[in-house]
Parts: sequence; structure tokens; C-alpha cells
Amino acid sequence: MAYIRRNDKSFGIKQTPKETLEKWYYLMALGRTLDERAPNYLKQAIGWSYHAPYAGHDGIQLAIGQIFEKNIDHLFPYYRDMLTAISAGMTGEEIILNGISKATDPSSGGRHMSNHFAKPEWNVHNVSSCTGNHTQQASGVGRAFKRYNHKGVVISSQGESSVSEGYVYEAINGASNEELPVIFVFQDNGYGISVPKKDQTANRKAANNFLGFKNLQVFHCNGKDVFDSMNTMSEAKKWVIENQKPAIVHASCVRIHSHSNSDRHELYRDKGELEYVQAADPLAKYRRMLVNYGRFTEDELNAIDEKVKQEVKAAHKAALAAPDPDPKSIYDFLFPDAYAAGKFGNGVHTETGTPVKLIEALNTTLKEEFRSNPDTFIWGQDMANKDKGGIFNVSKGLQQEFGPERVFNGPIAEDYILGTANGMSRYSDKLRLVVEGAEFADYFWPAMEQFVDSAHDYWRSNGKFSPNITIRLASGGYIGGGLYHSQNIESALASIPGVRIVYPSFADDAAGLLRTSIRSKGITVFMEPKALYNSPKAATVVPDGFEVPFGKARIRRQGTDLSIITYGNTTHMSIDAAERLEKEFGYKVEVVDIRSLVPLDKETIIASVKKTSKALIVHEDKVFAGFGGELAAIVAEEAFTYLDGPVMRVGATNTPVGFNRILEAAILPNEQKIFDAALSLIKY
Amino acid sequence: MAKKEIKAALIYSFATKKTSTAAKLIKDNLKELTLKEIDAESINANDLEAFDLLIVGAATWFDGELPTFWDEQIPALEDINLKGKRVALFGIGNQVDYPEHFGDSIGLLADVFTSTGAAIIGPTSTEGYTFEDSKSVKNNQFVGLMLDFENQHNLNESRIKSWCNQIKKEV
Ligand SMILES: Cc1cc2nc3c(=O)[nH]c(=O)nc-3n(C[C@H](O)[C@H](O)[C@H](O)COP(=O)(O)O)c2cc1C
Ligand SMILES: Cc1ncc(C[n+]2csc(CCOP(=O)(O)OP(=O)(O)O)c2C)c(N)n1
Ligand SMILES: [Mg+2]
Repeated sequence: MAYIRRNDKSFGIKQTPKETLEKWYYLMALGRTLDERAPNYLKQAIGWSYHAPYAGHDGIQLAIGQIFEKNIDHLFPYYRDMLTAISAGMTGEEIILNGISKATDPSSGGRHMSNHFAKPEWNVHNVSSCTGNHTQQASGVGRAFKRYNHKGVVISSQGESSVSEGYVYEAINGASNEELPVIFVFQDNGYGISVPKKDQTANRKAANNFLGFKNLQVFHCNGKDVFDSMNTMSEAKKWVIENQKPAIVHASCVRIHSHSNSDRHELYRDKGELEYVQAADPLAKYRRMLVNYGRFTEDELNAIDEKVKQEVKAAHKAALAAPDPDPKSIYDFLFPDAYAAGKFGNGVHTETGTPVKLIEALNTTLKEEFRSNPDTFIWGQDMANKDKGGIFNVSKGLQQEFGPERVFNGPIAEDYILGTANGMSRYSDKLRLVVEGAEFADYFWPAMEQFVDSAHDYWRSNGKFSPNITIRLASGGYIGGGLYHSQNIESALASIPGVRIVYPSFADDAAGLLRTSIRSKGITVFMEPKALYNSPKAATVVPDGFEVPFGKARIRRQGTDLSIITYGNTTHMSIDAAERLEKEFGYKVEVVDIRSLVPLDKETIIASVKKTSKALIVHEDKVFAGFGGELAAIVAEEAFTYLDGPVMRVGATNTPVGFNRILEAAILPNEQKIFDAALSLIKY
Repeated sequence: MAKKEIKAALIYSFATKKTSTAAKLIKDNLKELTLKEIDAESINANDLEAFDLLIVGAATWFDGELPTFWDEQIPALEDINLKGKRVALFGIGNQVDYPEHFGDSIGLLADVFTSTGAAIIGPTSTEGYTFEDSKSVKNNQFVGLMLDFENQHNLNESRIKSWCNQIKKEV
């Protein structure tokens, strides 16, 4: 490659206009003053207990912020990106408000860790502490850019060590395959806390691991040098926009200080090293160049330093005076607004006619919702290839009707499937995304980190951002599927605040809850009992436009002697057991299908127990640590005085689900086990 | 060749350990030349135009970069005129720990000096080194002398000696 003189590049010490050089120096001086002052807040017990100093990354961070255009581009900064945030437009006061976790902190109102700088209004995103996982969200925004023909670029920033995470590879693989306009910046300071980068990956520069990825351009720059960083970031942005393909910018930096204020780098770096990283200080270098090349006098720079000092003083004062978060606000922004599904009251109906199967009810509802809302998208593994639509054909015909832009296959990367849904949500809150989270619910585990992270988003951003996603999962057993094809995962998911979980057992409820999920803001896990897709038992009449609100149970059978509280596959077994108990013994057993685990209809459950004085909790999942434990505890706590017997539970054994049908039958609950338990409880 | 005919300078950072050591050995091996020693950390680029021959040394730092003080000088160096002048480069690197960027620094400097019109002299063979990539390899040879203090310390003297003989012949 022919040598391009530095003096001929877009930015350089000789050719860059003085105002620009001055603006940069001001931003860098402001950033550094805050970076150096941050530890004082901890020493004075004011806050900012997590601070990861950026000194040594100055060039690349200045450049990221400078090429970012508010409201056009999207930026995912990481915890070390203080100067990036300042360079993108955040003020010193905003930085301190985040640092000391004030109610007016623009990133999260004091909810998220300090040093997680964000301004969601400008699309400077509030990201997770799960380091580097926003790469997948960046790819998701990139996909939305493509779908909506948006001209801009997504910038994701992280350290070099977090590139080792599998989700980063998924994100970049996806961006390469889908040709997404994303710049992934790796700020390489040689360490992940105390771990030298040689223990992360074989290439000295992690970006070079991606050289075989198609459609991807890898750029390298000196992240300690303002001009090289500015030239490279500008070039990368231009390349990405012109080619509509992703790029990586690998910026070579140094970490001048410890990883954070809980790290002591003297434990693993010798004196010589501490000296040479200090000598490579990018701000000192920039300042020297400004003077040596005659662009500024010492006096001029000293005046800027003084201005920064005064400004930081004022920002400090203002931030200290800002209000702290109110402890009463902890429940705010846990869930964004659900669609007000009121047309059918609490989601019941008395319509008669021809029953449709559960699978058809789902398919029809998906199509209806996709027809009425053009901002809907669905993807997953096996989503669409000719006559195959969804691993169980639930989404059959969708791609033919709505096209491959809205209905498409995802790679075998569950985390990416969910992570890009989170990302697409960030493009606009009008989007409603449906994903087949995994082919089988128990393959959802690889997506757990995006799930947990997405569950936090609305709360963590203080209500500024909610991922609007329906996660469909084909769940449960009775199909002889064995491990990974038969298990239930709802109890694990229910332990994570911020997501709704529904689990219908009849076609009408499935249709009604799916409609509500797709129309709602927030995340809904939509569990589909796959054994019931084609079951005549689950088939019902589905009224046109049927709606079921969240958090409303449905009494599927009235009774006075015992309440069975259940959901999913076991609703049907419970109803059958109840019928037999009436036929054989004359007992009247009430069956409450909760339909919705989160939010939960406590009132209907308690009212039923008041009436019957006996509660049997039944579900397919393991009894031990299953969701029934929560139900039983609620009944015991809130309906104790009405109870005439112990709260009992029926469910799977505390084992994996075996493949051989004999093992499966021994493990999972069935009508007989429910019948026996019910009878003994009635007789108690 | 009479001593006074050639104005030559030896440029390296006086603050470095290994680069300085190499510079001293080079000086000892080029007694025929009057070498003006210049500290790379305080060069005035324009002063370099007065020399016929520049012997320039730099270690490689930070995965394929010039030391900071050198990097800062590049925009100044690019604007001087060294047409008809010669530049000989000696580089220091570590081929075991940094095989992807072994001794990149003198490749970077070669580009800069070439852009000023100078001729780069004193290329050496890559034989005897084990590495993956280097910006200092052009036309299958190093653009100058390459030294590895960490891994091939014992070869320094002989490498310097034969390179200096080569320089003497070339000038
Ligand atoms: C942080 C760091 C990065 C380095 N990067 C390279 C490199 O990319 N290529 C190389 O050949 N040597 C590299 N080296 C090795 C140095 O060039 C070598 O240690 C040399 O002897 C230093 O010479 P000096 O002390 O005169 O500066 C690096 C050393 C350090 C400490
Ligand atoms: C998933 C995950 N694992 C571990 C951590 C703890 N952690 C925080 S920062 C860090 C090092 C990251 O290093 P790098 O990506 O190089 O960024 P740097 O801090 O050096 O800028 C680790 C391991 C985390 N935040 N997230
Ligand atoms: Mg790092």
C-alpha cells in the first residue's frame, strides 16, 4: 500500500483548523479533569464507587464521540467511555450526576452502576455491565437501519478482552452475514483487569481474529493519537455507510491507571511498565504537539485548562445539590404499559362454533397482527424456508405473505436472536418484535444473558427504553423428547424481575394472550405447550379479535370442594381428574388456569381457595423450586385462615426428563397422579 | 572516502536503554565517519536537511508503533526535503513476544523518509529471525538492521558489525 502522508490526511496537527483543535483540547481536558477527580468522590464517601479511568484511551474516545451524530447514529459506549460520552455531547455535570447516582442522572436516575454513561434521548444507549454484550444489540439496531432505510451508523465500543465472549462473535458473525452498518470498536489496553491479553486469544490484536469474516473491514489505529483515531474512525464510518457493511476498529491504547478503583495494578505491573504507560499519555502528547507545531501557546492552553477547572467546580456544586433517588420509586418502570386488552373483559367469552386447534389459533393471530401492524417482525431458527414456517410450523405461510424482510431465519445463536430483538427495539418504540427464542424452550439457555439484560432495560434506564419483544417458546414434554426437548423453564425465568410470562393451555387463550403480547410494550415470554398444538382437547372456538389481558386467570371448571391451581399441559389433566372425581365420588373440584404467571392473578386464586378451603397446585415442571412453590406460598400466606388442609403440590420429580416413554411417564405428572393427590387432599 | 566529505548524523533517543546501547556499538563500528549524535526526543526536523547521511534508530512499541516521541515528529519530518540524501535505519524489536509486528518501527520510518525524497540504504536479510509479519520487510528483506535484545542478544555485535561494513560500502 502506498504511503499516505499524515500531512495529507483529513486530520493532522498541521492541517486541522485551530477551532477544531481547540474544541478537542477542551473536551480532552474536561474529560481528564473528571477522570482524575472521580476517585475523590469515593474517598469522601459521596459515591462513584465504580470508576474505570479512561486515561490512555483519549484519542479513540475523542474520535468515537466526534464522529457520532446525535439522533442519526446510535452509540453503545462501555464503562470506560467517559471521554466518548463527553465528546458525544454530555456535560461535566451529567457525568458527575451519573457518577454519584443522582435522581437526575440522565443515564439511569441512579439505578445503574456509576461509569455507565448514557443519554437514551440521543441514542447514546444505557448498556449492561455484562461486558461486550451490547455488540448484539448494536447489530440489532443495524438491522433496523437496513429495514427502514436509515442512513447512519451504529457504533459499539468495548475493551479488547471482552471480545473473548461468545456473544461478541455471534454479533459480528450476524453483522457480517446480514451486512449491517455497525462499527465495532475494540479499545485495546492490553488487559482485562489483571489478565494480560495473551491469555485471551492467540492474535495480539483481537480484531485480526475476524479477518476471515466476509463483508467486514478491519481497521487499526493508534488509540493514543488523536489524529490517527479521528482519521480512522472517519474512514470507518464512511466505509460502513457507503458499503452498508460492518467494520471493526481496533485501537491500540494504554491503561495508565488501575482497572478501576477496586483494583491495584501495582500487584501485577512493574515500575518500568507504569513508567512507559505514563510516558505514552495521549493528552500530554497532544498538548506537546499543539505547542511544538506552533498551533497554540502555553498561555492559550493554560487558559483552557483554567476554564475547565472552573467549569468542573460549578458542575460539582450543581451535581451535589441534585436530588437523590426516592426509595419509594423502586417499583417505577418495572413494566412498561401493556396493551389495554378490554374488549373481552377479563379474557373470557361464550361464543360457540367450530373449534380450532391451538396451532392454528397462533398462526391466525400472528397473521392478523402482522397485517394490522407493518412494524412487526418475526425471526428464529427454522422460521421460514418454503413450506416450513417455524420448527413446529406455527408461523407457516408468514414469509409468503409478509416477505423475507419481516419474516426470516436466524442463525443457530439464541443469544443473537434475542439480542438483536433488543437492539431493533432501540431504533423506534413503534416496533413490535416476535422471536422464536429457541426451537425448544430448553434451548433458550444460551440466550439467558440477553434475557437477563433485557429484563433490566426498562427499569435500568429509568423508563427511557423498553425492549418490546414477544419471546415464543415451545415448551414442555409428553412427546417423548427427552432432555432439551421436554423440559420447563418458566420457574427460572420467573425469578427474573421485569418480564411477563404467560402460558396458555387452550386455543382461545393462546390467541388472546399472543395478541396482547404483540401489542404491548415490554417483554413477554409466551410459553406454548407444544404437546397441545394439535390436541383436540386444547382446540376451542376463538372469537374474532379475541383478547386476553395479562394477569387474569380463567376458571375452567367450577367447584366447591377443592381448588386446583394450574397452567399449561396440566390444565387438561386437572380438568380430566376433576371430572372423574365428580363422576366417581361426587366431589366438585374447581380448576383455575392461571394463564399468566407474571403478572399473577392472586385475587382469583385467593377467591377460589376461600370458596373451597383446599388448594392443590399442579404443574408440569419440577415440584422442587418450581413456580408452584410461589403459588403455594401465596396461598399459605394470604389465605391461611380459609384453609382446611395443607397446600399440596403435584409436578415432575426433581430429575431431568428421560427420553424413554417409560421414564418420561414416571417423571412427569399425569391425570392419575393429580387424581390421587386431589382425592387425598379432599379427604384430609 | 575522505572523512570530511560526508556529513552524517546518528539519531536515536538518548533516554532509551537498548536503542542507546545499539547506537554506541554502531558508532564504534563507524569510526571512519564523523557522526553527530542527535537526541530523537528533541529533533528540529529542519536541521536534518544539512546532513548527507542519517543513521536513525528506533524500537517498536505498542504492537507495531513507533515510540511516542518519534510518532510526534512525523508531520515535521514529512515536510523536510531530503532529496539526494541517504537514510540508514536500525530497529529494535522482540520477535518472540510480538511476532505479528516484529520491528515494525523502521518500516514506518522508511516510509516517512522515502516520502521526503531520501534513499534508504542498508537493507538486511530476514534469515535467522523467526516472526510472522513485519512492516519493516520490503522486497523480502528488512529495510535496515534489525536487532532483538530480548531473544538474540548474542547476535547483536556481529549483526551490527556487518551492517556497518555494508553502510561504509554503500556510502
Ligand atoms: C508494550 C510493548 C510493546 C511492544 N511492541 C513490540 C512490537 O510490536 N514489535 C516488536 O518487535 N517489539 C515490541 N516490543 C519490544 C520492544 O521493542 C523491545 O523491548 C525493545 O528492546 C525496547 O527497546 P528500548 O528499551 O530501547 O525502547 C514491545 C515492548 C513493549 C514493552
Ligand atoms: C460477562 C462479564 N464477565 C466479567 C465481568 C467483569 N469484568 C468487568 S471489566 C472486565 C475486563 C474487561 O476487559 P476489557 O474488555 O479489555 O476492557 P477494559 O476494562 O480493559 O477497558 C471484566 C472481566 C463483566 N463485567 N462481565
Ligand atoms: Mg482491556
